[in-house]
Amino acid sequence: MITCENIRKTYPLGRRDKQALRGIDFQVARGERVGFLGRNGAGKSTLIRLIGGVELPTAGQIVRRMSVSWPLAFTGGFQGSLTGFDNARFIARIYGREYREIRDFVEDFAELGHYMKMPVKTYSSGMKARLAFGLSLAIDFDCYLIDEVIAVGDHRFQEKCKRELFEKRADRALILASHSAGLIREYCDRAMVLADGYGVMHDQIDSALEAYDRL
Amino acid sequence: MSLLAQGLRIQGRVIGALMMRELLTRYGRHNIGFLWIMVEPLLFAVLVGIVWEFMWGATKHGLGVMSFVISGYIPMVLFRHSVTRAAGLFQANSGLMYHRQIKILDFVFVRFLIELVGHMIAYLFIAVVLAGLGLFPVPYDLGFMLLGGLYYALFVLAMCCILAPMSEMSEVVEKFLPVVTYLTIPFSGAFTLAEWLTPAARNVTLLFPPVHAMEMMRYGLYGHAMTPYFDYAYPLAVNAALFAIGLLLCRRVRRLLIVE
Repeated sequence: MITCENIRKTYPLGRRDKQALRGIDFQVARGERVGFLGRNGAGKSTLIRLIGGVELPTAGQIVRRMSVSWPLAFTGGFQGSLTGFDNARFIARIYGREYREIRDFVEDFAELGHYMKMPVKTYSSGMKARLAFGLSLAIDFDCYLIDEVIAVGDHRFQEKCKRELFEKRADRALILASHSAGLIREYCDRAMVLADGYGVMHDQIDSALEAYDRL
Repeated sequence: MSLLAQGLRIQGRVIGALMMRELLTRYGRHNIGFLWIMVEPLLFAVLVGIVWEFMWGATKHGLGVMSFVISGYIPMVLFRHSVTRAAGLFQANSGLMYHRQIKILDFVFVRFLIELVGHMIAYLFIAVVLAGLGLFPVPYDLGFMLLGGLYYALFVLAMCCILAPMSEMSEVVEKFLPVVTYLTIPFSGAFTLAEWLTPAARNVTLLFPPVHAMEMMRYGLYGHAMTPYFDYAYPLAVNAALFAIGLLLCRRVRRLLIVE
């Protein structure tokens, strides 16, 4: 269970502050798949980062009662100057896992071949997404936080994600931020529509997409 | 108890992983690799020692100039390098905040630890080589040298805990840091012994914790060839206060940290 209570986040912006989130409340139970819908700058990524503990909320409380992945996003989580293998080793170390198991899984899942010996900064965003998914699936979390990146993968990668994350690990929770109605409809049970720093949770995907269309 | 043990185990794991990563990104896998960490302090101490030997002659106040300079310079460059590396530390590492088990104090601790190990190896190496050449005394009391080193290291770590978040809050701090560290030399006890000073000046320099540490180390090195001035409790009390300030600042910066 993840519980978010009255989450607020304010960023300094010149003399005035920008209120990115103005009080968000929701819960995600084990196995639930929740989407965050919203236009660019609506606060989807900010909320994902707060849930992942990357940044801390200005006010409010986030309680995590299951293991939560780091946000799988376009940036962050890796050291660009290190190779894929080195990053895998680092992540295996800090999560206390056997490096060899993690490496074998990632090599098989991400299919990066000799790129694993290259610095991560030379990767395309699709390759980074593959590495991030591979590592987080190998570590095996109860809840995955995904910020858009699933959309950058090619068809083969999307198929693989579907098989590994949505079929083999169907009991895992998922929070997916996207402005793509298609992805949310395909992967989520319910969705929250974010606008102006507020969020409205819809138990039906259709009603969420309708509200999103009206924005 | 078990929660604390678990927490300590995780932090230990994280610190180990961060150390490996820091050594890899800084020195790579080429040529002598991580042995580079001792090269800079080593060159610094030896070259400056040679220059001073020419300027001052072989001894000063009855102590060997070479050993005096080296025993002062290594701790001082440890301080200087550590605080310089602490500046801007959080922004540089912010990508790692994606992993919740990594705390910002780990970054401060890891960089400090790498500097400490590097400078200790350099010190040991120089001392052994120069002792073989008869230019460095055999320590009178190794215990006092280590105790002084510990006091000195605690002070440096406390300053890193303060300066790392401060450099994040204000750019001015980052820009002025090199000059300020240079200006602190007279208060570091690196190039003077308390006994050489007038009582008034001595009382002023003894307000600074590193002077006590330096006196301990020098006493451990030279023994009765000098009269040491230090207190056990006072520097610890000052360091505790500095740590408290540093932890508060780190906490505040963590709340405000914006991660790319």
